[in-house]
Amino acid sequence: MKIKSVKLREAHEVSSNASFCSILWDLQAHHLVTASSSQPSISIHDPLLHSSPPRVLRHHRDGVTALAISPNSTCLASGSIDHSVKLYKFPGGEFETNITRFTLPIRALSFNKSGSMLAAAGDDEGIKLINTIDGSIARVLKGHRGPVTGLAFDPNGEYLASVDSIGTVIYWELQSGRTLYTLKGVAPDTGSDTSVLNVLSWSPDGETLAVPGMKNDIVMYDRDTAEKLFTLRGDHTQPICFMSWSPNGRYMATSSLDKQVLIWDVKRKQDIDRQKFDERICCMAWKPIGNALAVIDVMGKYGVWESVVPSSMKSPTEDIPNSQTRNSNGLLFFDEEDQDLSMSGSLSDLGEDSHGESEPPSRKRLRKQSAIDDDQHEDVYDELNLVRKTEPQRKVPRVNKENSDKDKDALKAMTAFRPKMQEAFQPGSTPPHPGKRHFLCYNMLGCITTIKHDEYSHIEIDFHDTSTGPRVPPMTDHYGFTMASLNENGSVFANPCKGEKNMSTLMYRPFRSWANNSEWYMRFEGEEVKAVALGSTWVAAVTSLNFLRIFTNGGLQKHILSLNGPVVTAAGFSNELAIVTHVSDCLPSNEQMLEFTLINISKGTQVFKGRLPLTPGSYLTWFGFSEEGQITSYDSKGILRVFTSQYGGTWLPLFSASKERKSGENYWVVGLNASKLFCVGCKNPDTFPQVLPKPVLTLLNLSFPLASSDLGEEALENEFMLNNLNLSQIQNRIEVTAGEGLDTSSLDDEAFDIEAAQDRCIFRLIASCCNSDKLVRAIELVKLLSIEKSVRGAIQLATALKLPILAERFNDILEERLGNKAEVSNTTALSSKHDPATKRSEILEPIVSSSSAKISAPLFTKKVKSLDRVKFGKQKTDSDQTTNLADSKEVKDAEKNGGSSHVSSVKEVKNLETRCPLNPFSKLPNIQEGKKVEEATRSQSKGPSNKSSNEEAKKVVGEVTGKQCQRPSNPFLKSTVK
Amino acid sequence: MAGQSDPHISLFSAEELEFMAEDELIEIVPNMRMDPLNFICVIFKSGDFGPFFPQIASQVPLWLAVALKKRGKCAIRPPQWMSVENLTRVLEGERESQGAFQVLPFHYVEISRLLFDHAREDIPDMYMVRSLIEDIRDVRIHKVETSLEKFSGTSAVKIPNLSAMEVNIIRPFVGRALQAFYKHDNPEKIPDVDRASSAQTRAANNEPRVSATEEITDRFHF
Repeated sequence: MKIKSVKLREAHEVSSNASFCSILWDLQAHHLVTASSSQPSISIHDPLLHSSPPRVLRHHRDGVTALAISPNSTCLASGSIDHSVKLYKFPGGEFETNITRFTLPIRALSFNKSGSMLAAAGDDEGIKLINTIDGSIARVLKGHRGPVTGLAFDPNGEYLASVDSIGTVIYWELQSGRTLYTLKGVAPDTGSDTSVLNVLSWSPDGETLAVPGMKNDIVMYDRDTAEKLFTLRGDHTQPICFMSWSPNGRYMATSSLDKQVLIWDVKRKQDIDRQKFDERICCMAWKPIGNALAVIDVMGKYGVWESVVPSSMKSPTEDIPNSQTRNSNGLLFFDEEDQDLSMSGSLSDLGEDSHGESEPPSRKRLRKQSAIDDDQHEDVYDELNLVRKTEPQRKVPRVNKENSDKDKDALKAMTAFRPKMQEAFQPGSTPPHPGKRHFLCYNMLGCITTIKHDEYSHIEIDFHDTSTGPRVPPMTDHYGFTMASLNENGSVFANPCKGEKNMSTLMYRPFRSWANNSEWYMRFEGEEVKAVALGSTWVAAVTSLNFLRIFTNGGLQKHILSLNGPVVTAAGFSNELAIVTHVSDCLPSNEQMLEFTLINISKGTQVFKGRLPLTPGSYLTWFGFSEEGQITSYDSKGILRVFTSQYGGTWLPLFSASKERKSGENYWVVGLNASKLFCVGCKNPDTFPQVLPKPVLTLLNLSFPLASSDLGEEALENEFMLNNLNLSQIQNRIEVTAGEGLDTSSLDDEAFDIEAAQDRCIFRLIASCCNSDKLVRAIELVKLLSIEKSVRGAIQLATALKLPILAERFNDILEERLGNKAEVSNTTALSSKHDPATKRSEILEPIVSSSSAKISAPLFTKKVKSLDRVKFGKQKTDSDQTTNLADSKEVKDAEKNGGSSHVSSVKEVKNLETRCPLNPFSKLPNIQEGKKVEEATRSQSKGPSNKSSNEEAKKVVGEVTGKQCQRPSNPFLKSTVK
Repeated sequence: MAGQSDPHISLFSAEELEFMAEDELIEIVPNMRMDPLNFICVIFKSGDFGPFFPQIASQVPLWLAVALKKRGKCAIRPPQWMSVENLTRVLEGERESQGAFQVLPFHYVEISRLLFDHAREDIPDMYMVRSLIEDIRDVRIHKVETSLEKFSGTSAVKIPNLSAMEVNIIRPFVGRALQAFYKHDNPEKIPDVDRASSAQTRAANNEPRVSATEEITDRFHF
């Protein structure tokens, strides 16, 4: 026999004498959990990464004597010398509850197959059966005379077997809580040494119960009759202190006080491998996937014995007996069960009888059996076994349906090992932490926090703005809400489904209501709320059936819509609801496939729907609306994306934590507005804030992930792009509001402000382009200026920088623009030609009006307009004769008025020059500007006048008026210069 | 000036110093929304503070912070130097170096006092911080006193990093002592010296009436 050595490493420091340590695997073999009875901590190790320190749970005040994990690996239970049994979430390790207390130390814990029941026992009298859902004690089983050290639920859910330190084994019937069999003195008496605990274990198919025997062996007892079936006796020289069935039940590992571990082939009743350790191994666990055994010794050192079973033999995880229940999971299932029920009824009656009076005969049988047992041939046994099996096999399907479903899920999880789809979450919530308050919802308005007490939770709602926000009394929550959302009007809560008794509930609580008792509840049967959102007049809940349920604030069920996939999160803003759902399973590259839907609830329309982009390998961590109502996402790699309707609806990356990050801070997003991101900075490695001290928001600038340009003006370029984005958003909104026939003046003002800011930004970019000799870029930028004034400023700038070619090109751009503008105004003029009065006022206004900002521009416009008219004239000569006449008359009028207002205009132009905020060169380069403009006008007027001389007389009139009205403009420009 | 009425004791009273310290800027976290406040202000470039948004930190003068705090409208964020780590470090530094003083804000005594009075719940480890600051102050005062013992005939005294409170305590004495030294050095110029030295030391006290020797012995026993 080959001797492989297993390296042990220290998990728990065991100071002096040997103490009982426990070890177990989780379902998918991702974690190893260890504990020692000399230390209050529980360690969760990652068996693949030995270097990383284990996660340590320190909730007990004294040594941990027992560990148990629920069959689906979501719940970890620990029992301790401090008399308490605690439950934790797994694999996170968050403390959940103190599920029960004893008056003396706990020695053994065990979950039943479905995980709904936990058995706990120890030095106290009585085994407690605890309902894991609500912590209620279903039953206390009394009968042992010594400390109970081992507990085992029969995998088929009928019996519980227990063993005590004086060696008594008791079979309990779970249904009634009665003792079925008491086998006295079958296991060794371990005395008062608490580092040795008698254990017992059901084979995975539930047919046999293994108990350490008196002769350094393992004795197998029958499931239903408690008769001794056979023994495993070999090279152990001292009593066996622990054993563990391989997951398929073919093999068994036993450890003995002689510090040896033996591996047995149970069918052949032969040991196939052994290992000697330095210390006594007190606990072992087979890896649920693969061929390995985890061991821990009494000194707290643990290790994993790889490839325990020789490769020539069947793997210990092959043919896990669950297949039996799966096969029978058909229609026949129920018939069989019915039969079995009657059968088992009679059987248990029989059993009781035998327990009552016929104990001696069964004893006799046992002895007889064991006599044959010792050197029985394999095939003979098999025959016997077959005969025997006919009886109990019918009982197998009695595992209830839920269990077998769970098993199947577990199997699936075992076989399919791939990246997980992210779970549903509420934006602005933090994970629960035992004994501490955590956020259910945190947004720009306020927060909802909760803390769990034993029976209930305590929820508080706080608004950041204490002066205006409503004051909401704290509330006691008996439902255990885990989801919440908050806005000005109210809050909505929901809890997940926890078993049949505790249905998923949705609760809405308005803050201001004229009616009493206006909060309402909705219950969901067979459905579970996964995400909630609030809007101005509605409440939305997305459920596990992929239903989107929309309620009014009053609690009316308004709409139920089906969604395309499982929900990830949802957010609401006034009338709009945005929902993120999974499109499909994630890609092998660990990319979540998400989709978002933006709907308008009051109109009942879908605004947009599309894929939600994420950084490769990341998942969504925040989703919501900006203050302006743009949907925004933030992923785990720290990229913020804002949705824009440009390009048919796209996401713009507007912030990157990695670029911003200083001193290893993580940002927990709370909200954003047009230019700033509001978040809470959390010191690494925390990724979310605690409730206390109150988190303070940090303001971060939004910025595009720009490439580093040769210009070196990323800040300006960023501002430029942001302004563009804001402008397009505002224009969208203007369109929408205008479409609704509402007043857009405030939005117009806002748009104008942004335009002005944008021009300033472009202007600075032009300056830096000119300085670094990027002339083509400068010209592109000039074309983007929206206000003529700024173009003129740019011309001045180019002149000042001694770049005449550039100045000339700028000039061309200006001319072109003026031309275009004139064309536009001309067409409007033509369209309104039958209303001369209005038109006159249109033309007069710029000159007479005191709004000085417009003075110079309209003069140009008019001039060019008349020029244009020359061009247009060709087509329109015949039809427009009368109007042209009218026009020329009006222009003359205008000229007169212009002359009269001449003096006052001069002053105003002066004002204009000093007041204009857009032109940074307003005061100094007046001379240049004056000259420039003069030149421009001259050159402009020259060409067309030549042309027009060849044209018809009417047009000449127009041209002349153009010149005339130009005249007043020139003098006062000069006068400002002087 | 305020101290003129009683030239023997400090130039300013503690309250007056506190008043001056109230112009120092400090960070608050308001819990209400408020439009910007436009104050006439000489010390800072502009007297505009705010606008204030709930849960977003903002810089305001200490007096405003205290006023808001009293109304329960904000939480004050203790300044960086008021952390336990920093103060421990400063205290060690003060104890180690006999001559030099550690860098602390000019008004650290007043600021800490105001915060202890009005914002105790906003200071983490309040008692620790308080006792540290008291220790630092004691050590520094002791150092000031011992360094004055070595004070000999000079025309100017330079002590970097001295705080407002500490300067205030020693200012009248140092001023007069310097005058006295000057007087003894140049006995013939007594009448002029008075004016000249007072201008030099910028003390408001123009008429030293107590003889220097007496004063020094007096002062050395504080």
